[in-house]
Amino acid sequence: MKLKNFIITFVSAIALLLSTATISFAKVVGDKIILGAAVSLTGKYSSNGVHTQNGYNMAVERINSMGGVKVGGKTYKFDIIYYDDESNPKRAAQLAERLISQDGVEFMLGPYSSGLTKAMAPVTEKYGVPMVEANGASRSLFTKGYKYLFAVLAPANLYLDVAIRTAVELNGGKGVKIAQAFEQDAFSQDVRLGILDAAKDTGSEIVIDDKLPKELNDMAATLAKVKAVKPDVLVVSGHTKGALTAIRQIAEMKVDVPMLAMTHCDAAKLSKQHGKNAQYALCASQWHKTLTYKDKWFKDGMTYDADFTKMFGYAPPYQAAESSAALLVFKDAFERANSFDQKKVRDALAATDMQTFYGNIKFAPGGQNVSKPMVLFQVICDSSGKCENKVVAPLKWASAKLVHPVPKWSER
Amino acid sequence: MNKNLIIYLLILIFGVAAPFIFPAFKVQLSILCVLIILAITWNIQGGEMGYNTFGNILFYGLGMYLCASVQVGMFFPLAEWTESGGEKTFVHTPAQFFQGFAAGLAVAAIVPTIVAGLIGYSILGLRGHYFAICTLGLGVAAGEISGGIEIIGAGQGFTTPPFPNIGSLEARGEFFYFCSFVTLVITFIAVKSIYTTRFKLVLNAIRDNEDKAEAMGIQTMKYKIIGWMISAFFCGLAGGIMGGLVGYIDSTDVAFDGREMGVFMVLMAILGGKGTLWGPVIGATIFHIFKEGFWTFFLGWQYVALGVLIVVIVIYFPEGIMGWLREKYPERFGEVVDEADRKAQVELK
Repeated sequence: MKLKNFIITFVSAIALLLSTATISFAKVVGDKIILGAAVSLTGKYSSNGVHTQNGYNMAVERINSMGGVKVGGKTYKFDIIYYDDESNPKRAAQLAERLISQDGVEFMLGPYSSGLTKAMAPVTEKYGVPMVEANGASRSLFTKGYKYLFAVLAPANLYLDVAIRTAVELNGGKGVKIAQAFEQDAFSQDVRLGILDAAKDTGSEIVIDDKLPKELNDMAATLAKVKAVKPDVLVVSGHTKGALTAIRQIAEMKVDVPMLAMTHCDAAKLSKQHGKNAQYALCASQWHKTLTYKDKWFKDGMTYDADFTKMFGYAPPYQAAESSAALLVFKDAFERANSFDQKKVRDALAATDMQTFYGNIKFAPGGQNVSKPMVLFQVICDSSGKCENKVVAPLKWASAKLVHPVPKWSER
Repeated sequence: MNKNLIIYLLILIFGVAAPFIFPAFKVQLSILCVLIILAITWNIQGGEMGYNTFGNILFYGLGMYLCASVQVGMFFPLAEWTESGGEKTFVHTPAQFFQGFAAGLAVAAIVPTIVAGLIGYSILGLRGHYFAICTLGLGVAAGEISGGIEIIGAGQGFTTPPFPNIGSLEARGEFFYFCSFVTLVITFIAVKSIYTTRFKLVLNAIRDNEDKAEAMGIQTMKYKIIGWMISAFFCGLAGGIMGGLVGYIDSTDVAFDGREMGVFMVLMAILGGKGTLWGPVIGATIFHIFKEGFWTFFLGWQYVALGVLIVVIVIYFPEGIMGWLREKYPERFGEVVDEADRKAQVELK
């Protein structure tokens, strides 16, 4: 008796709230193709999440203003429903479910980072929702037999493979001593596996193999070891924060290594943020503006760079470029499938073979893009102190010569 | 009494029917059940016993990892499953999946209970802020440690076995909803019946004055440990279910997620009114609805909105919703207010 009225009111209030929440079924409404995306607008991946979102938005605007997508003789425009996954895999999985079952989305774009993609892929797979993702590179995404997952980027284990091979080559084909430090996340751990493979292949020796915490703010302990052991190559990977922390502390502690290889230099805007301290850092990148790929929407890398800078006020890191490319892939697949049937679109995606400003795109059966190599660039500064990322490998696109070994701090 | 029974039956029927009435919200409803379990169990310490713990997330995370590990390990080599590259792909048959999950849940409930007993023995001697800080450390440490253990995937994370293809697409959602709902019902009944015994009075005595309780001859340590073990049992179950529901376990972001789940369970209990049976249930429900709403309508600002909500709660409802109601309508809570007597007392003062 005591609580009766209150509990009845309470239960009916919840029922009312749930039932009034709108459920819309929205794959294609009028002339709009609605894609769903959960990106990290807050949390530890927020800067890269925003790059991803900007890349998507830029491509949507460009494709829509250039005539949209033609399916079945009708023109459609892209639209994206965004949610914030807070850089949290649990949230990402929940949002994938929500986009599909509540918002009725039938085609998805990927989130930022491998961990979040790993959390979302089982959901999209279960519902048979094709997902083109641009920011989940972990190799384990492509070995699970997912049929509806397509990644426009090269898998993570290839990121720094070239760096190790280059170091070995410069060492006269003899193995080198490698020190490595990786953040505890799916992507960086995969980069690590790539290094282990490369080391085994080239007969190199791993002398330091550290794991660093997420939200990487301090790696002084690793660097102290590096100073003592004097390896030939130091490899660091830990998203944007990792890159910034590494450069800051290497400069502070004046750590001398002949080669410093890392990831996420351009997303971290290293050459701008740390200027000369970042000089000679060697970075793996999915894309660079000087590459000579072309397409009809963005023309080429230089034009994309200029247009993006005009629109968002900063130069596009590769995370933005690959995100834009994901939309181009979707457009192409819709037009070839000439249908909005998920299976047909999926088959069209699997048969993708195209060139975009970002690179060639052709998917392996596992879903990864196999026709686009990674590039390595080096941060190089001129005498006035202005620093730029210059491609140094592969040789086909190299616009500068690799500086090796890196000059000692005492000589800079 | 009969009327109470009818109310409980109505709620039960609503719970059973919910996933069919709101088929699109199954995942949210399952998560709601898990949140309520966490809030109810936190309330045993934070509300009834007066020990503000941030450590319950430890049991939740442990349960999650254990359930998934057992589910995989019973049929396949765990190390190969989680092997960083994930090169090997194993597929559970439906029977294997459900047997594994059931065994996993059993382990996910029992092991955290034992752990709670061991840890409780060593740290429940701490009081007040010291206990809170110590438990906060437990969750953080567990997250960092599990992030380095290769066999459970370390930094790569642990993909739990995918739900087998049986029946429709809805089967997975319904399965996990009913798992979490049944667990919630069991938790509620268990906690409710505990609250009718002397045990609850002892916990309250500890909260109100532990030294006096001890002086009365109560072995407070024993009761504190048992209380924590009960919480751990249900937190472990909740974690195990959540792991299967999310499908991907990450050490610090999903399992030992002290920053979110660990704080949410405290917030929910306080919002609803700690030290009451229904408070955590109501708090969790309102919190979850608000949170989902903020996520939809204040994209990018959801935490600011949530922050404002918390501030409003602390300022206007310091005793939580149940506490506020109790003050406002004491007669509904079975407290007899004799107007004449109250007036007489006021005049005396």
